[in-house]
Amino acid sequence: MTSGLSAALAIAKKDIVTQFRKKFEIFSMFLFALIAVIAFSFAVVSGGSVPAEVGSALLWVIIFFTGMFGFAPIFLSESETGTLRGLATAPIPAWSVYLGKVFYGFVLMGIVEVFLVPIISVLFGFSILNDPLLAFGTIAVGTLDLAAVGSMASALSMPSESKSTVFPLVYFPTATSGLMLLIELTKIVVLGSGAVVIGAGLTVLLIFDILLAHLIAMLTLSASVFHFALSP
Amino acid sequence: MAVKAVETHELTRRYGYRVALRKVSLSFTTQGIHGLFGSNGAGKTTLMRVISTLLRPHGGTISVMGFDPQEEAEEVKKRIGIVGDKVLLYEELTGFENLRFYSKLYGLDQQFFESQVEELTDRFAIKTWLQEPVKNLSTGLKKRFDIVRSLTHNPELLLLDEPFSGLDKDTTDVFWEYLNEYRNLRTTIVTTHNLEYGAALCDEYVTLRKGVVVSQGPISEFDQTL
Repeated sequence: MTSGLSAALAIAKKDIVTQFRKKFEIFSMFLFALIAVIAFSFAVVSGGSVPAEVGSALLWVIIFFTGMFGFAPIFLSESETGTLRGLATAPIPAWSVYLGKVFYGFVLMGIVEVFLVPIISVLFGFSILNDPLLAFGTIAVGTLDLAAVGSMASALSMPSESKSTVFPLVYFPTATSGLMLLIELTKIVVLGSGAVVIGAGLTVLLIFDILLAHLIAMLTLSASVFHFALSP
Repeated sequence: MAVKAVETHELTRRYGYRVALRKVSLSFTTQGIHGLFGSNGAGKTTLMRVISTLLRPHGGTISVMGFDPQEEAEEVKKRIGIVGDKVLLYEELTGFENLRFYSKLYGLDQQFFESQVEELTDRFAIKTWLQEPVKNLSTGLKKRFDIVRSLTHNPELLLLDEPFSGLDKDTTDVFWEYLNEYRNLRTTIVTTHNLEYGAALCDEYVTLRKGVVVSQGPISEFDQTL
């Protein structure tokens, strides 16, 4: 019998290989992200840049909606083809299936962000390199948080007859609290040290802690009830 | 007392208000081929899903190879192999990649996995198709790979839900021969509404009708006209 973590990694690897061969979700994500960035850059950029508050929000709103294209099919495609039954009857803990999908969602979104974030920085005229460590941490934890929420939303929408309606109904409200924190953190990064006020370091730490708590709560809660999704 | 392959006592499962299994009590001994007969909607597939841990019972008890499928699901899962109506393979991956993926989930030793793949792919005549993406294979070849997938970890209990539907004659013959060869080495439960196949293959049978057991016993006592 294999360990839960190695099973999760095997599932993530299988999904990544599959995605690179069919390229459907990743292509949809890139296409949406690119159209959104171009549309926003025409609408809100004036004088070569947008206000940091607006830019930070737009960055995460685009990532949030781009994620829908990648996260929604995470379990739906397995459910439709029947392969989920293969995962459900394998001698692995149910949480490893969920965790494997979160890893996959994280990598998928990460690949898009590698291209998306620099393009947004250039077109919106702001830099996230003022605090590279915080910027990287925020994007990594934020993406993992969205992948955790998106994977669970995809699993919850499986039994529904109107899957395309149920997914956003779960994804939007659950991810919104994390999204607010991500926008705040990104705003602090973009404003840089020049805009730091007394106690800003503590504020960053507090927001980051709440974000981490949101991620851990989401992962723990979803993983602990996930067996109900596999064997109703 | 010898452990039964499957033993249920007043097992009940509902889908909403519809009762799919109503107080089903039955037992299958270890080894041999056991038939689960009944027309469409009799509850065969539901029972197979409860046995394979895919569905939770709403009443009664069940043990599979001496384990509770809900409380000891992983113990049950590593002992069973399943072939169902749907092929549990990933279309974008090759046949070999599919088998290797499942072998990782089952924690198979590399050497054991390679020897199993060598033997089974040779047996089911799919060795030359191992590196081909599953999406390029015919329905019959996909089914052969799916059968090999279910056997690679050498399960003690093989669950076959309408295994011969959609199979060409060659594949049916190969699979039939394989099942006969392993008749006394593992337990196999076969659901079918093809009573002719069922009567010829099985040692014991259970007939379900509308979720209720209507007859069970050795296949010599089976009456196809019922």
